[in-house]
Amino acid sequence: MSESYESEKGKNSANFESDRVNISLVKYFWQANPFTSSKTDTVPKFLRKIDVLKNFSENELRILANSMHFRKFSEKEVVFRQNDVGIGFYFIYSGRVDVIIEGQKSEDQEAAENLGTYLLSLNRFAYFGELALLQENSLRNATVIAREPTELLGIFKPDIEELIQTNPNVVAKLLQSISLIVSQRLTSMTREIRELKYRISELEKINQ
Amino acid sequence: MKIKTYKHFIFTLILIMGFVGMFSLPRLSLPFLASYLFYLILEPFVPRLTLLGLKKNIAVMIIMTGVLTISIFPIIKISPIISSEIENIQYYIPKLENYVNVQFQQIQHFLQAKFGFELQDKYIFEAFSYLRTQVTSVLLKLPQFLASILEWMFLVPLLSYFLLADSERVKKTFLKLVPNSIFERFYYIFHQLNKQIGDYIFAKFIEASIVGIIITVGLVLLKVRFSIILGLAAAITNIIPYVGPLLGIIPAGLLGMTEYGWSPQFGAMMILYLVANVIDIGIVFPLLVSKIVDLHPVVVVVSVILGSQYLGVLGMIICIPIAAALKLILIEIYKEFYEIRS
Repeated sequence: MSESYESEKGKNSANFESDRVNISLVKYFWQANPFTSSKTDTVPKFLRKIDVLKNFSENELRILANSMHFRKFSEKEVVFRQNDVGIGFYFIYSGRVDVIIEGQKSEDQEAAENLGTYLLSLNRFAYFGELALLQENSLRNATVIAREPTELLGIFKPDIEELIQTNPNVVAKLLQSISLIVSQRLTSMTREIRELKYRISELEKINQ
Repeated sequence: MKIKTYKHFIFTLILIMGFVGMFSLPRLSLPFLASYLFYLILEPFVPRLTLLGLKKNIAVMIIMTGVLTISIFPIIKISPIISSEIENIQYYIPKLENYVNVQFQQIQHFLQAKFGFELQDKYIFEAFSYLRTQVTSVLLKLPQFLASILEWMFLVPLLSYFLLADSERVKKTFLKLVPNSIFERFYYIFHQLNKQIGDYIFAKFIEASIVGIIITVGLVLLKVRFSIILGLAAAITNIIPYVGPLLGIIPAGLLGMTEYGWSPQFGAMMILYLVANVIDIGIVFPLLVSKIVDLHPVVVVVSVILGSQYLGVLGMIICIPIAAALKLILIEIYKEFYEIRS
């Protein structure tokens, strides 16, 4: 690196700015300091890549990132359990989580050890738990477990309340995004229900 | 699994150390507590300024400079008056005692003649000996108090400034230590506690200062002695629910009777207290009611009694936020065991 720097410097001096400090290089070394691996830069960049947040401006993403919390989960650690009261909406920053729906709780121990039916697994850039921000005393619909060491970015009800005071426009956009997610889910569920109803009626016809 | 238990252990250790530190280092924790109160009172003004497009640091700076410049004048002007009033009170007490004794004897004779019931002397003696020791102890502590005031005048604004400017960052760092399994619940209770206690203290501060200012100004206009101390007493006792306003009237009533007897001056003083409390109940309270915690009146009375039992007047003042905090935690425990799992 130093050689290239020297050669760079040589070129520069050959031109006209002989003694000038190469600001961009200094800045690079300043930021490349291993002790200052700041998340201030990376989190907004991460959020930029999430589809539902595309209506946010850069500055709004920065504000949103400031009020989010980084949570680290080890493998097999439970993020939240079904029927817990939830207050948080999570984005997967790294790692993978499994969403599991627990069946009816049976008395015997063996069935309880079996953690229920596997639903789907979510990877980087996916999100879950958005209903908790909208509902009062929202109960989680499923259990979420980290399948590998996972980093989650969470935003919680208290953060939303604070943002309403300080940055109402950011909250408005966030709630717009969440309602987008919810409405997409509602549409697909309606379609699914319609299909199921149709199949039921078909089955009834066959049985008659 | 092991890391998880370590995290729980460290977190509990930090909480316990925090509490122990608070009680064992009063010289540090008291200014911290005072600046936390200031923070709670001033914090609602920060978003108002940041919404105008100011940066948070600048908004905090403007608020702090504003508060400091506004408060410098009263502190310089009023604190000598207060200390001279406190000194005068000790010379005034014999006069008050004499008057009360005369009145008490009259009542004693009256009761004896009418109903044949003999009123004991000891209550009045106990009350006065208590009052005398209290005033003497305050006077003895005054130099020490003034020295610590100097320390506080430096510490409290500094700490409040950094609380206002950096509370977010401190909170985030603290929340990072909370173990995952209890994070959401903890954050929720933590937030609710902060909000409710903050709102309560903000509302009570406004209410008490309005009542205090009305009474002080009124008493100054009526040219009553010890007007500032009486106004301060009315403001502080106003914080206590239900009995507070009555407690605030007692010293003024005694002083008024001793000084003026049954005269228009005394009537004017009582009307002033009445007007101040009517303004408080009729105008200030309805405006702030949403910010004052909703505890059942019975709970309020019980916690005031318990507070007075253990910590005297201070207990009566701080009992409501503590009761509100306990209520929140109990509700969460109730939900945990009775509602969700069923």
